Amino acid sequence: MLFLRRTLPLILAFVLGIIGIAIYYIPHNAAQDLENELAKWDRIVAAFAMLLGLYSLMRLHWSRVRRQQAGWGYSSLVFLGFAIMFFLSLFNNGLGPFVAKSSADTDPFVWMYNNVQVPADGTMFSILAFFIASAAYRTFRARTPEAAILLVSAMIVMIGRVPIGALISDWIPWAAQWLMAVPNLAAKRGILLGVSLGAVATSLRIIFGIERAYLGGGES
Amino acid sequence: MKDFLLNIDRRIIFVFVALGVIIPSLTEFPLPIKPTSTVQSIYDTIEEIAAKNGTVLISFDYGPGSMPEVQPMALSVLRHCFNKKVKVVGMCLWPTGVGLAQLAFDTVSKEFGAQYGTDYVFLGFKPGYTTLILNMGRNFHDAFAQDLQGNRTTELAVTRNIKGLKDFDYVLCLAAGNTPDGAWIPFGQERYKFKFGLGCTAVMAPDQFPYLQSGQMNGLMGGLAGAAEYEVLIKTPGTATEGMRPQSIVHLIIILFIILGNVMYFLHGRQKGGA
Repeated sequence: MLFLRRTLPLILAFVLGIIGIAIYYIPHNAAQDLENELAKWDRIVAAFAMLLGLYSLMRLHWSRVRRQQAGWGYSSLVFLGFAIMFFLSLFNNGLGPFVAKSSADTDPFVWMYNNVQVPADGTMFSILAFFIASAAYRTFRARTPEAAILLVSAMIVMIGRVPIGALISDWIPWAAQWLMAVPNLAAKRGILLGVSLGAVATSLRIIFGIERAYLGGGES
Repeated sequence: MKDFLLNIDRRIIFVFVALGVIIPSLTEFPLPIKPTSTVQSIYDTIEEIAAKNGTVLISFDYGPGSMPEVQPMALSVLRHCFNKKVKVVGMCLWPTGVGLAQLAFDTVSKEFGAQYGTDYVFLGFKPGYTTLILNMGRNFHDAFAQDLQGNRTTELAVTRNIKGLKDFDYVLCLAAGNTPDGAWIPFGQERYKFKFGLGCTAVMAPDQFPYLQSGQMNGLMGGLAGAAEYEVLIKTPGTATEGMRPQSIVHLIIILFIILGNVMYFLHGRQKGGA
C-alpha cells in the first residue's frame, strides 16, 4: 500500500515533471507530439477534476443540511439549483442529452441562465461598490508618509481613469497613466519575478520529491 | 458633530453611492471620453486585419459577475469585426462565459446580418485551460474537432484553414480572471508568437502593464472605461459610455469621503489615537 500511496506518485511526479520540462524546449516533432498527447491527458484529468469539485461542493452542503448548521436553508438551495439546471441541461430544449447543446432563446436552460444566474451574479458583484466606498472612507488614512503617497496615487488613478478627470484637468489622466505605466509596472514586474521564481522552486521541490504535501497526510 | 464626521454611519455612505449611481443614470450630461493608446492599439489591429480579410480568435473568459464591465467590450469588438467583415472564432476557457458569448454573437450577428459558419464560429467551452491552449497551438482541429453546434471545424469556412493558433491574425482575450497571464501569454503567445490583445476588468488592468511593455500584449482595454473608449472608436455608444456618468460621480463621491475622513482624522482623530 505504501508503494501505491507514496512511491508511485513520487515516481510519476518525477518522470512526468522532467518530461514536461524537457519537451517544452525540444522543437523536434516527436517531442512536440508527446507534449500534445500529454496535454490531452491533462484535459481529460481536468474534466474529471470538475466532477470532483462538484462532488466536494455537494458533500459540503449536504453536511450542512444534515447537521442543520446556521444557514442550512441556503445550502438546500444549492441542491435545488443544481437539480433544476442539471435537468434542464439534459432536457436540452426537448432535443435530449445526446445531441449538440441548444442555444435557442426558447431553451429553458438558456432562459434560466439569462434571467436568474446573470442578474443574481451581477447583483452580488455590484454590491461591492457600496462596501468599497464605506471601507475606503474608514481605512484609507494617511497615517504614515508611505500611506499618504499611496492615498494620493490612488485618488489620481481613480479620478484619472474616468472621463470627469479630463474635464477637471488634462494632466489628471496623464498622471494616472504615468502612475500605471511606470511605478505600478516596476512594482508589478518585481512581484511577478518573485512569484515566478517561487513557483519554479516549488515545482522543482515537487518533481524531486522534497515537497510532499500534495500526497496528503499532513507530511511535507 | 466631530464624532459624527469621524465615524459616519456606513448606511449614509451607501445612500450617497446609490444616489451617485441613480441620478447620473437618469440624467444626461456629456463627458469627454478620450481613447487611450492601449485601446487604440486593439482598434488599429482589427482595422489592419480587415484590410487583409483576416480572422480573429476571441476568448470569452468571464462570467455573469463581470458581465457589466466585459460584455460591452465583447459587443463593441464584435460590432467592429462584423462591420469590417473580419471573421471571428469564439471560445471560452470559463464555462460561465458560454451563455454570454452566445448572447453577444446572437445580438451583433443580427445587427450586421453575419452568417454562422462563413462570418463567425462559436466553439464553446472545453476544460484544460493551459493544456487546451497548447493543443490549439499544435493542432487546432484536433483540440476543437467540433463547434458548439456539433459541426466539424474542418468543414466550416471560417475554421477550415486554421491549422494552429499562429494562423489567427489576432487573439483577443476578454477576461475576468487569470487566463491572460496564467494561460494565454505563457502557453500561447510566448510559444506560438501570435498577436495578442486583452480586455479585462478594471481590477485586473494594473497587473497587465508588464506584458504591455514587453510587447507580449499589444493592446489593453481595462474595465468599463476601456469599453467606453472602444465604443467611442467605433462610434457606437452603448452601456459602457452610459456607465461613465455614474462611475465618474461615484469615484468623486468616494474621493470626497476619503478626503473628509482624512481631514477629520488629522483635526480630531489623531489626538484620540486614530479613528
